[in-house]
Amino acid sequence: MTRPGRNADPIALEVVRNALSSIADEMALVVLRTAYSSIVRDSMDYSTGLCDRHGAAVAHGLTMALHLGSFPDAMKALVADYGDDTKPGDIFVFNDPYSAGGMHLPDVYIVKPLFCGGELEGYAATLVHQIDMGGIAPGSTAVYATEIFQEGLRIPVLKMYEEGRPNETFFRLMHTNTRVPDKLAGDMRAQVAACNTAERAYGRLVEKHGSETFRAILADLHDYAEAVTRQEIAKLPDGQWSFTDWLDGLGDDPEPIPLKVTVTIDGSRMIVDWAGTSPEVPGAINCPSPFVKSAVQLIVKCIAGEEIPNFEGFARAIEIRLPEGTIVNPRPPAACAARAIVGWRALDVLLGAFAQIVPDRIPAAGEGGVTFPAISGLHRGRQFVLSETLAGSWGAMPDRDGSFGIPNPGGNLTNQPVEMIEALHPLEVERYGMVENSGGPGRYRGAPAYRRQYRVRAPGGVQMVMRSDRRQFLPYGLDGGCPGTPSWNIVNPGPDQRTEPVMPMEAVRLAEGEVFCHIGAGGAGQGDPLARDPALVAADVSEERITREYAEAVYGVVLGVDGAVDTEATGAARAALREARDNGGGTAPAYLRMFQDSLGLPGFRLEGERRMVYADEGGE
Amino acid sequence: MPAPQSGWRLGVDIGGTFTDLVLAAPDGALHTHKLLSTPDDYGEGIRDGVAALLGETGIEPGAIGRVVHGTTVATNAVLEGKGALTGLVTTRGFRDVLEMRRLRIPEMYTLNYRRSDPLVPRRLRLEADERTGPEGEVWRPLDPASVEAAAERLAAAGVGAVAVCLLHAYANPDHEKQVAAILRARLGDDVFLTCSSDLLPVIREYERTSTTVINAYLGPVIRGYLGRLQDHLRAIGVTAPILVMKSDGGIMSAAAAAEKPAYIVESGPAAGVIGAAHTGARDGMADCITLDMGGTTAKASIVEAGEVARTGDYEVGAGINLSSKLVMGGGHALKLPVIDISEIGAGGGSLVRVDPGGLVRVGPESAGAVPGPVAYGQGGTEPTFCDAVLTLGWLNPDYLVGGGLAIDAGAAARAVGAQIAAVLGRDVPDAAHGILEVACGTMMRAVKAVSTYRGRDPRDFALFAFGGNGPVVAAAIADLLEMTRVVVPPNPGVFSAYGLLLSDIEQEAARSHLALLSGTGPAALDALFRELESGLAADMAAEGYGAGDYALRRLAELRYEGQAHELAVPVATGPDGLPDTAAMAAAFGDEHERTYGHRADAEAVESVTLRAVATVTVEKPAPRLQTGPQTGLQSGGNAPGAVRPAFFGASAGRLDAPVLARAGLTAERRDGPLIVEEYDATCVVPPGWTARLDAAQNIVLEKGSAA
Repeated sequence: MTRPGRNADPIALEVVRNALSSIADEMALVVLRTAYSSIVRDSMDYSTGLCDRHGAAVAHGLTMALHLGSFPDAMKALVADYGDDTKPGDIFVFNDPYSAGGMHLPDVYIVKPLFCGGELEGYAATLVHQIDMGGIAPGSTAVYATEIFQEGLRIPVLKMYEEGRPNETFFRLMHTNTRVPDKLAGDMRAQVAACNTAERAYGRLVEKHGSETFRAILADLHDYAEAVTRQEIAKLPDGQWSFTDWLDGLGDDPEPIPLKVTVTIDGSRMIVDWAGTSPEVPGAINCPSPFVKSAVQLIVKCIAGEEIPNFEGFARAIEIRLPEGTIVNPRPPAACAARAIVGWRALDVLLGAFAQIVPDRIPAAGEGGVTFPAISGLHRGRQFVLSETLAGSWGAMPDRDGSFGIPNPGGNLTNQPVEMIEALHPLEVERYGMVENSGGPGRYRGAPAYRRQYRVRAPGGVQMVMRSDRRQFLPYGLDGGCPGTPSWNIVNPGPDQRTEPVMPMEAVRLAEGEVFCHIGAGGAGQGDPLARDPALVAADVSEERITREYAEAVYGVVLGVDGAVDTEATGAARAALREARDNGGGTAPAYLRMFQDSLGLPGFRLEGERRMVYADEGGE
Repeated sequence: MPAPQSGWRLGVDIGGTFTDLVLAAPDGALHTHKLLSTPDDYGEGIRDGVAALLGETGIEPGAIGRVVHGTTVATNAVLEGKGALTGLVTTRGFRDVLEMRRLRIPEMYTLNYRRSDPLVPRRLRLEADERTGPEGEVWRPLDPASVEAAAERLAAAGVGAVAVCLLHAYANPDHEKQVAAILRARLGDDVFLTCSSDLLPVIREYERTSTTVINAYLGPVIRGYLGRLQDHLRAIGVTAPILVMKSDGGIMSAAAAAEKPAYIVESGPAAGVIGAAHTGARDGMADCITLDMGGTTAKASIVEAGEVARTGDYEVGAGINLSSKLVMGGGHALKLPVIDISEIGAGGGSLVRVDPGGLVRVGPESAGAVPGPVAYGQGGTEPTFCDAVLTLGWLNPDYLVGGGLAIDAGAAARAVGAQIAAVLGRDVPDAAHGILEVACGTMMRAVKAVSTYRGRDPRDFALFAFGGNGPVVAAAIADLLEMTRVVVPPNPGVFSAYGLLLSDIEQEAARSHLALLSGTGPAALDALFRELESGLAADMAAEGYGAGDYALRRLAELRYEGQAHELAVPVATGPDGLPDTAAMAAAFGDEHERTYGHRADAEAVESVTLRAVATVTVEKPAPRLQTGPQTGLQSGGNAPGAVRPAFFGASAGRLDAPVLARAGLTAERRDGPLIVEEYDATCVVPPGWTARLDAAQNIVLEKGSAA
C-alpha cells in the first residue's frame, strides 16, 4: 500500500473531510426546504458545494451526481474575473456557459466568498436549475432554439450583493426578464440562505484549525483524492477501448447524432477522448463541456472500489479531451438549453466503453436519462410552468434484472407527487407506472418501461416543450442480451392516437380534454434470453410484468394453468426458438413486435443490432 | 377508564439484544432488571423479567397499576419481511406508485443499488375504476364491479390484510368507504383492513399509500404480539392495562396500537428521548440534545424547552436514518409523526481500518455481537471502536462492567497496534486516540443533523448522554461542538425503559387543508379543527376517557405559497376564541427564520395539514434520591481511591484517572480526569471537564475546572 506524501495529520484530514461534506449537505437541505419551484423542491435538480480559496472544489452536497464537475469551470471564471476584487459580504451570480463556465442558462450559480479573520479562505457555491430565465419558451429549455440569444437572460459573473448591499440593478433586470419573477426570487433567496449557512460553519472550521493548518489540510486532501483515484485506475487493465452511441436527432425528420469516446488506461493515468463525436447541431442540445466532464468523473467514481472524496484533486488523474466545435464542447453562440440529453447519452457511451474494461460492474443501457417535459399555460389567471424529470428503468446487471423505479445514475432526482401536481395545475395525471411486456429480454432482463400520462384540464389548453430520446436507437444490451424497448410520445392514446417526435422542434399544443402519454425506453438485457431461469420468467408472469404469451414467444417458457413452469413444453419451445434464431431469425424480434402492437404503434424493421426503422412515423 | 392508576408502574423496553425493565415504586424508587431478549416470543423474556422484579421487591403482581411498553417488534417485522400477506386497492392507473416510490435513492455514485421490495407484490396491488379530484370532486364514479373483482382475487390469494388508498381520498373519503365495504363483505371480519382516509388523510399519494400499507402489513402481527404479551403477564398475575409507546413519544392503549400499528414503528428509540425531555425539564436542562450510543449506531435528537422535535418525513426499513431528506428513498415512507432522531453507523462494535489512501475510517461496518470486538475473545480479529477505547484505558480492562464478560484489553491494544498504529507510523495510544477522534467526528454529524441542519446552535444545549457508550464519548463530542455541559442520568444503560414511565397518553388526528391562510378565515379554520377534535373525542371515548380527562392542542403545518416543505406551528387563538391567522403567519415566519435564516413576510402563507392532539397527563415517578444500592448495580468493584492510567490525547497525555462509582461523586464539582463505572455504563470525564452529582443524581459534566 502506498500513501501520498503529506504533512498534515491523517486524523485531522478525515475529520475535516467529514466536516466539509456535512456543511455541503447542510447547504443542500437549506435549498431543498426553502425553494419554491417544483423542479428544485420535488425533482431536486440543484447542487451545493464548497471550494478552497483558489476555487477548487472540496465538497459536494448529496444532490445531483451529474453536477459533480459543474463547479470547477465556473469557479475558474469567477476567480479570473474577480480574484483580486472580492470582499466580505459579496455574493456572485452567473449562468452564462460561454463567459462564466456555466452549463445552460437555467442553471444559475450563486457563490459567496468565505472570509475568516479578513482573509479569503474559500467559497460556498450553489447551483439551482431555475424554473424560468426568459427566452423563447416557458421553462427556458426549448429544444428548438438555434442560438443562445434566444434562450433567455445571459448573466456573466456579477455581484448580486456588494459587501452585503443588494445590487438593485441586477434584481430589477432579473425581475423583468422572467415569466415567474416570484419563484425565481424565492429560489435565489434559498441559494443565498444556503451560502450564509455555510459561511458560519466554514468559519468555525477554519478558526478551529487555524488558517495555515487548515490550508495545508485542504492541500493534502486534494493529494489524497488524486492518490486514491490513481490507485483505482491502476487496478484497471492497460489498453484502449472505444464505444459509440447515438441520439435520435431533432424534429420530425431526425438526423442521428453520434457520440464517441475512447478510453485509454495507462498505469495510473486515464485519458478520455471524445474525438469522433458529432459537430455542433442547429438545436439547443449542444452541451458545454462541464456537463460531459461531470459524466466522466461520475463514471470513474461509480466503478471505483473505494470511495473517492469530492476533492477536485481527484480530477488530476483523468485527462479529458473535448474537441472544440463538437456537441460536447460547442462554441458561442451555439444553443444549449436542452443540453442535458447529451450528458445522459455521454453516460451511456462511457458505460459502453467500461463494459469492455470491467464487465462485472456495468449494467446494460437503461432508459437513457431523464425525459424532460415542460408544460405551461394559464391557471386561475396566472402563468404556470410544470417541469418534470421522468426516469426509472435500468438495464440488467451481469447478475440480476435491471432495477425499476430508481433514478438514472447521473441524477438522483425524484418524481413529483401526482396529487400535488393536480392540486396546483389544471392537469390530471391519468397513469403512472410500468408498461407490461416492455424492456429488453435477457438472461437478466432490463427493467420495464414507465409511462406517465396527462389529461389537460385547462380551458385554454397548454403547450408543452418535450425533450426525450431513444426511439430509433434502442438502449444497448450486453453479453447477448436484447436491446431495450423504444420511447414514445403519444397524443390521445387509442384508436385515433398520433405520435410526436422525441424532440419536437416546436411547442406541442394540447387542447382541454386532450391526453399526452410519454413512454420511456425500457432497459436492455444481459445474457441470452433463452438461458433465463424459467422460474424468473414465471415470477414475471405472476407479477403481471409480462403476459403468458410473451413468456412463451420471447423466452420459450411455457406455464401450466397453475402458473408453474411446464418443464417439458419449455424445453421444446426453447429448442424451437433457438433453431429459428440460428436460421437468421428475422428483423422484427417478437418482443419488440408485441410491445409495438400492444400500444398500437407502427411496424418496423431492425437495422443492425438496435436501430429501429419505422414503417410510418405518423402512426395511422 | 379513569385517570391513570397510581401504584407501581412498570416500563419494559425490548431491543434486539436486551430486554430492559424498570419498576417504579409509588414513592418513586426505581428497581431495574436487564436480561437477554427472547426473539421467538419476546413476551417470555418480559414475563421472566417481571417475575424477577416481583421477587426482588416482594410486591403482589396486582400492585402493578400500569405497564408501559416500548418495542422494536414493528420495525423488525418490516426489516425482516415478516408482516402479513397484504393486498392494496388503489386508483386505476396507479398500482405501481408503491414500487416507484419517489425514485430517489440514498446513495450516489453507485451502479449496484438494490432497494428493498415493496411490501405488497404487484399481483396483489389491484385497481379500482374511479377518480376523485383535488377538491374532493368526483371526476369518475366508483365502479363496484372493479372492486368486486379485486376482492375476489385478494380472497383467492388468502391475504391477511388489505390497504385501501385512492387518489385524493384525503379530500373525499367516499370512494374508499365504498371500497372498504365491498372488501369487508367479501373477505370477512378476520382480514385486517386500513383505509388511507382513516389513518392519514393528507396529500401526497406515495407517502399516504406507503403509510397505509405499513399499517395493514403490521396489523395482524402486532395484534397477535400484544395479545400474547397480555397472556404472558396475566399468567403471572399482572392484569394492569398495557400501554404502548408510539413513535412520537406519546403512549396509546394496546387496543389502539393493534388498530394503528403504524404509529408504533419507532417505539423503541422514542422512550429515551422522552425520558431526556422530562428529566431535563425537571432538573433545569430544558434544552438538550440527546446522545444514545449503543453497539452499532449512535442516535441523536433535540429537545427544546422540554419539547421533543418531531418529523413527518420518515422511512421504515431504510437502515440508518440520517434524519435528512437527502438520504431518503431506501425504505418505505411513513408519514406519521416520529421523534426526529438522527442515526449514524458508529457504535462500540464499529470496525476500524486504514483505507488505501491512508485515512482512518470507523464504521459503518460493525463486528456486531458476533464476533464482536477483539477484546471479547469471541473470534473478532479486526479492531473496533470498543478496542480503541479500551486501549486508551477508558474502560475497565478486565471485564465488561456488570456484564460478567471477561475482557482482554491486551489483545485489543495489540490489534490496534498492528492494524492501525503500525500502518500510520504512530504509537499505539496516539492511534487509539485518533480512532476516537474520527468516531466522534462521525457521531458529531448525527448531532449536527438535529441541530445546525435545522438552524439550532448546539452551544445553547446540554448534551444528554445515555446508552451503553453514550457517557463514554459524550464529553469528547461536546468538545467538538463547543458544548459546555453534559448530563448522564442514573441508570444510563436502561434509560429508555425508565423513559417509558414519563410519557403521556396521546392520540392525534390530521387532515389536509391546502389553502391560503388568509383565504380560509378563522371561523372556517375553527370548524375544520372542530371536526378533527370530534373525531378525536370518539377515539378517546373508546379508550375510556371523557372530555375532562384530556387537553387538546392544535397544530398547523404551514409554508410560503409554492414551497414544498412545511413547518409545524401551534395554532394561536385570538380574543374571540377562534384561530388567529395573522399570529399563525407570524409564528411561521419566526420559525422559518430560525430554521433557515430568512423570512419573507410579503409572501402568502398557506396551510397544508391541520393536526389536533389530545393528551392525558400521566403521573410521573417523582425525583427521589436513591440511598441504598440500586438493583443489580455494582460500582465495578473498585476500592475507594482506585486509579487507572488513561490516555487523553497528545496534549493532555497519559494521566492517572481516579475510578469511582456514581455515589462517589458529590454536589461539589470535581476535576477530570475521572472514570465513573456503573453496572450498565461507564462515564468518562476528560481533563478540562468537571463532574458533580445534581439533586436528582444526574452526573453533570461541565467544561472548565473546579477551582
